[in-house]
Amino acid sequence: MSVKVEVIEGGVPHNTILAAGLVASLVCIYVSYANTFLGAPWAAFFGGLAAVAALVWGSHTIKHLCSYGIGTGVPSAGMMAFGSGVIAMLFATKFGIMAPIIAVVLAAVIGAILGFIANNILNMRIPVMIMSLVEMAIIGALVLMGFSAQIAGTFDLMGLLSGSISILGLSLPSYQVSLIGGCLIATAFMLGGIAIQHPFNACLGPSWTQDRMLYLAAECGFLSMIPVAVMSMAIIPMGPALLSLIVALIGWYYTYAKYIELSRRDAYDWLDSKPIPELEGH
Amino acid sequence: MSAIGAKPTAAGGMDPMASAIGVVILLVIIAATYMLAGSGLALMALIGVIVGGILVGFGVHFVPVGGAPAAMGQAPGIATGVAMLAAGAGLAGLFGGAWAAELGLVIAVITGGIGGGLMMAITCMFVNIIYVYGMGIPSASGKVAKDPITGDTQAEFKSQGTEGHGLPFISYVGGVIGGTLGGAGGTLIYVMLLDVYQAELPAMLDALPAQILPIAVSLAGIFAIGMFLVNAVLAAYNITGTIEGPHDPKFKRFPRAIVASAVASAVCGMVAIMIVAI
Repeated sequence: MSVKVEVIEGGVPHNTILAAGLVASLVCIYVSYANTFLGAPWAAFFGGLAAVAALVWGSHTIKHLCSYGIGTGVPSAGMMAFGSGVIAMLFATKFGIMAPIIAVVLAAVIGAILGFIANNILNMRIPVMIMSLVEMAIIGALVLMGFSAQIAGTFDLMGLLSGSISILGLSLPSYQVSLIGGCLIATAFMLGGIAIQHPFNACLGPSWTQDRMLYLAAECGFLSMIPVAVMSMAIIPMGPALLSLIVALIGWYYTYAKYIELSRRDAYDWLDSKPIPELEGH
Repeated sequence: MSAIGAKPTAAGGMDPMASAIGVVILLVIIAATYMLAGSGLALMALIGVIVGGILVGFGVHFVPVGGAPAAMGQAPGIATGVAMLAAGAGLAGLFGGAWAAELGLVIAVITGGIGGGLMMAITCMFVNIIYVYGMGIPSASGKVAKDPITGDTQAEFKSQGTEGHGLPFISYVGGVIGGTLGGAGGTLIYVMLLDVYQAELPAMLDALPAQILPIAVSLAGIFAIGMFLVNAVLAAYNITGTIEGPHDPKFKRFPRAIVASAVASAVCGMVAIMIVAI
């Protein structure tokens, strides 16, 4: 059995973050369903907020798992999360309004089997392995579903597969201008994968503090939401896409400023270095 | 002690009970696919996906992964993690194979293998150029006294206090073999899923085969990447991070990785196929 090498001292317990992340993410994805009743997909940005909530939860799960020393580096856990999450998420989109719930259940089943494989067949023997991989698969599915809802304005498979292209004022159906047909989902996959693995990788060590890492996770989530908002301009009308972009920029600026503030709090000392000084005379 | 410095304690042995449960899960999934989708294209695709996953999981064991110690010249191998290396080699192979997908299964899989092997060969060559001319260290293995292929002795080139350094010949060969197997496996998964989607999507969406081609390619591609990463990370868990190549004692752990990859690919493959088969 592995020895736990880094304890979580103080701060919010993991189960609280798990519950908050799961509920916030599901609620935000369901709020984006309001697009069906609005004239334009104005609620699309809630998809991005769902992804951010799941990413904050995910960074803490990675901390929980990697504090046992899995030996393969922190990024591998993020890749595993999205590799199993994308499969559950795309299958779940077949079920219309039930999609987020089914994505969570199916991702949990896939994650549990992968956890059993890693823990028992591969003899990892890490106590939190199965639970962590269940959480990671759910997080991967929710982040991708959130980003998909933001780009396409819906999380229904038909909406993700087909879009419309307008030629000379005529609106024609097209399978190429869509989230999956244009393979925007691959970009969302990598944007989420980078955002989930970076926070713990950047903050780990003896000076790790929980609030700093979680703010960095939110910052990475909003940073990924910015290009996702830009990509959504290709699929949904310009107004809602710009709204997503503005929400992402505001969220990113707030969390970035907060992260810098917390980094200065935790640092022993810091020097506000100036740009290259201009020497007078010579 | 930080999380990075911790030594993982996965043992070398195989747990027979867990492996038996894994094989039972595998058979249940194949049977369930047969019940739901019949013995046609879907079942063939599932078998292909499982074989592809096994190739990926087995191939990762050949790749000389050094991690952080290799970056400091204290252990042999390429100085990065398994997830990055496998993704690089596998995706290079997948892109190569995807170009050849219309020329048939065999040509596509071979092309994918060549793509992955070529990527690893170039990576290994530049890694050695940086080690030898940039860092000024010779290539020496710490796990064997003589290189199994060339017969060169290793001990006199190995610095004290290290586990070897650089990329010895056997590790280079292992890297190319691993890249070839990974690229071929990734392409096999892609081609198999592409066949299913091209056959089933026109009826499901009531559209012409030419119209659904971008969707079929994109779906098969993203699922192939997802399954590739799952298999590569499971193999990385099996070798607990670092390995020198096929001569490393850790290489003998590959049987349980094959069971693991088969079960994981079967689970993911069934879900990926059911998206169109149900």
